[in-house]
Amino acid sequence: MKLLRRMSAKLLGLFRIHRAEDELAREIASHLAMLEDEFVRRGMTQAQASTAARKTYGGIEQAKQSHRDERSILWLEQTFQDIRHASRTLARNPGFTLVAVITLALGIGLNTTIFSAYNAVALKPLPIADPKTVVRMERWFKDRALGDIQYAFSYPEYVYCRDHQDAFSNLIAASWPLRVLATIDGDQKGGDNEVKTLFGQVVSGNYFTGLGIKAGAGRTFGPQEDRGAGTSPVVVLSDSFWQREFNRDQNAIGKILKINGTAFIIIGVTPREFTGTSVVPQIPDFWTMIGMQPQLVPGRNWLSHSDDYRLQLLARLKPTTGLSSARAEITGLLQQFSSTYVPRNPTIQVSLQPTAFFGNTEDDRFQAGVAMLMVIVGMVLWVACANIANMLLARGAARQREISVRMALGATRIRVVRHLLTESILIAFAGGIAGLALTTVATKLLWIEVQQILTRLLGSEFVFGLDLKPDGRVLAYALALSVLTGIAFGLSPALQFTHRDMSAALKDETSMLGHRVSRSLIRKVLVGGQVAVSMVLLTTAGLLVRGLTRARSADPGFDAPHVFLVLADFGDNRIKAAVRSQRLAETLAAIPEVKDVSTGTPPMFGSWTPPIVVKVSSAPQGEAHDRTMASYASDTYFHTLGIGLIRGRAFTRQEASIGSQVSVISESTARRFWPDEDAIGKHFQLDEKFDGKLTDFEVIGIAKDVRFANMTRVDPAHVYLATNASNFNTTLIRINGDPAAALASVHHAVQQADPNLLPGLSLWNAETTLVAPRRLMAQTLAAFAAVLALLALVLAGVGIYGVMAFMVSQRTQEIGVRMALGATAVGVLRGVALPGLRPVIAGMMIGIASGAGLSEFLHSTLTSPETNDFLYGVSYYDPWTFGGLTCFVAFVAILASFAPVVRALKVDPAAALRFE
Amino acid sequence: MTSEEKGAIQILQGTLDLMVLRTLATMGPQHAYGIASRMEQMSEEMLNLNQGTLYPALVRLEQYGWTKGAWGKTENNREAKFYSITKAGQKALEEETRRWRSMSALVEKLLAAE
Repeated sequence: MKLLRRMSAKLLGLFRIHRAEDELAREIASHLAMLEDEFVRRGMTQAQASTAARKTYGGIEQAKQSHRDERSILWLEQTFQDIRHASRTLARNPGFTLVAVITLALGIGLNTTIFSAYNAVALKPLPIADPKTVVRMERWFKDRALGDIQYAFSYPEYVYCRDHQDAFSNLIAASWPLRVLATIDGDQKGGDNEVKTLFGQVVSGNYFTGLGIKAGAGRTFGPQEDRGAGTSPVVVLSDSFWQREFNRDQNAIGKILKINGTAFIIIGVTPREFTGTSVVPQIPDFWTMIGMQPQLVPGRNWLSHSDDYRLQLLARLKPTTGLSSARAEITGLLQQFSSTYVPRNPTIQVSLQPTAFFGNTEDDRFQAGVAMLMVIVGMVLWVACANIANMLLARGAARQREISVRMALGATRIRVVRHLLTESILIAFAGGIAGLALTTVATKLLWIEVQQILTRLLGSEFVFGLDLKPDGRVLAYALALSVLTGIAFGLSPALQFTHRDMSAALKDETSMLGHRVSRSLIRKVLVGGQVAVSMVLLTTAGLLVRGLTRARSADPGFDAPHVFLVLADFGDNRIKAAVRSQRLAETLAAIPEVKDVSTGTPPMFGSWTPPIVVKVSSAPQGEAHDRTMASYASDTYFHTLGIGLIRGRAFTRQEASIGSQVSVISESTARRFWPDEDAIGKHFQLDEKFDGKLTDFEVIGIAKDVRFANMTRVDPAHVYLATNASNFNTTLIRINGDPAAALASVHHAVQQADPNLLPGLSLWNAETTLVAPRRLMAQTLAAFAAVLALLALVLAGVGIYGVMAFMVSQRTQEIGVRMALGATAVGVLRGVALPGLRPVIAGMMIGIASGAGLSEFLHSTLTSPETNDFLYGVSYYDPWTFGGLTCFVAFVAILASFAPVVRALKVDPAAALRFE
Repeated sequence: MTSEEKGAIQILQGTLDLMVLRTLATMGPQHAYGIASRMEQMSEEMLNLNQGTLYPALVRLEQYGWTKGAWGKTENNREAKFYSITKAGQKALEEETRRWRSMSALVEKLLAAE
């Protein structure tokens, strides 16, 4: 109790230091006065008494100090002192302070923005109750398939696990968002009931209760709903849908929503913050019960197919269960269940993942990508730090005397280092706050860009639930980064200035790793390093920008604007599906606006790169082994897509319908394997299923090159194999005229022929959904890289200027002497400024060398046909880019170096000589 | 340090607090000078309280809430800060006295044992 009271007294005392000091002085004065009185009473004179009193009392300052030590929390008081002093020092040098803060703001802001994005994607928990105890189930397949499929389980699997498990308090199932056609009954808008495309999820009855989501309006699913197939036609709406369609009208509850023809009652709305739980952060428009699945996805029956993996499983751990035991239990249960049917792809393990907005965030490739990004922005921050460290070193030489005196008077090294560090951390803090402000703006801009790309890629009906706003975690990150940065650039100068060996300090030397290192050498190294990093960033950005101009005009090789992909769900009965698929093709062909219909692999939709074997006499063992892109194509494929044939012919109807072993290859393929011969009539073998079994194909035609893998480069090798409509390939159509009218006709025709197909039917224009987004992504990437590089260069330029300015101020006397002795301006420039350029040149050379290394590395990743070539084929040793940028950097460096010297030259030599 | 000072007993923090409280309890409100001279008197010059130890003790006691300081005038019309013991201080004094007595009895016993 007494300690508590004392602690609070001490803390309060921090705010009353002045008053306490005054009182102390008063008390000591009064004490001395009383001593004096005593001595006067004993017979001394006033003067004698005064002296005697002081002698008896002892050291006044020491008494004061021991009083202070007892009274306050010493280190805290000292820290306040340091902060006050540092603020004053910084205020006295506004130029330096401003430059330092802005430099750091840019560096920290950039880093925090990237982290903010990573946070929104991978770290933020879902908006559910107690998200830490909820996990996602993820399965690992024998054939190592990766991606969204790892989160998919079948309904029977779910039921089995739910009924036999003990580790979880709740096991919840939810589908991916499903595409449906819906009308709102009693909807007066537009007169007729307009049919909308909506996305909804089917979920288990305990979805909302298990996740702890209370309704924002109306109610969510109760126990009466989870009763089995087809008995609960109720929906809960999402807040965004309620906003869009009903303008948050309470009367919406109770209205009827007709989904795929079946009537559902709206019973409630979820709260605003709830944006869904899918592995892709899409906000569904509504949720309904699993039992209603046959109505939502006609033609499929998930409820009884053990092998139909359609549901995401979420589980809430009981407080008593550990993660590993839960995992073991679930793996066991799933394997037990899998013995009741023959899975196409056996599962070997199940893991439990914490829930984040995106799935698969522990994927190595994703993590590697993020790490690389962080390293790049980290480099820019490093440049900023080196900058400021340099400036501190330069400025600090003036304070060296003050520091040496302090230490000679008995200040401990730690105390002085703390004092100097306070200044650095203060700068870093200011930079961090400014950086956070920048982050807020940057994330907004970033989100707008990303949304644009995503809407084009996935269609405008998708609503996204990602919040890039900085939250507590981002704030903490920015704070930690600021402090670390402050220490990073402040510690080394601080340690150097307080070095015990005074002579070394005065000689402008320091000791590093046991050797005597001139401080100016460190400065030079820092400058050189900054230039090197800037060079690398600049050249990379320059090449990316050049690649962009190529991207804009890159020709995908097919007639994208007029090609439409038709995606449809033909149901799970294979025989019926084949028939329906055929019927769709015929229906489409009959529509006048549709010029061509074909089936085959859609471009840019994922890539299939089987191994290829070609008998070539020049290769070792007479065979060339390689990889090639492969696509399926029907007889009308090339015509539909507008891919020209150079030689030979395409498939005939006959060949397509039986899938004969003939192939059309691209010109690059022909050039690659048969450079001096006519490829027509030649044979090659393909390992289609990656199982070692080779199928032989004969080349019957050569087509123009295309870019199917990605936009960045022409497919190095591409072969087309014959197929027909019954092989579940995508239907591709060509529409020459007005797309809106044509699409309406398509809908009408399909309605007549196979209305059950309509809900799952979607049409995608190749240009807007495949080609344009990729061009946009290239644009964004190049813009980002350019901004980054320019930033680095500006920082480096400012850094060089700062160091030069300091050096010149040191040598102003020398310059004055030189000029007085008759040196010309050019002579001075040569003697003073030119040596300063040496580290810059060294940095540039290192930068170029590193860049070359980077280029080698990038080129080595272009092994597989489908990997991206970020430079769009621009050679790294591209002379224009390299030469131009080197000149640019040199120009900036020269400017930064010479400017201070030129300024110094203008000074009157006599004044320069007197400069102290 | 002179041999005279060496002879003087080194004082522990806790016991100093105790002695100051006792002085205030018996003598009533006192200023620092008064407390110091009284204690020197009592100990017959064996205690040499330099200001380095007394002032911190007074600050401590005030922070604990066991004493309260107020400015007033001495008989000679000099202003001085008078410390008086509070109720909490009284309680603490009793508590500390008891503890000191039992501890010193224990030490005595240990030393007496052969």
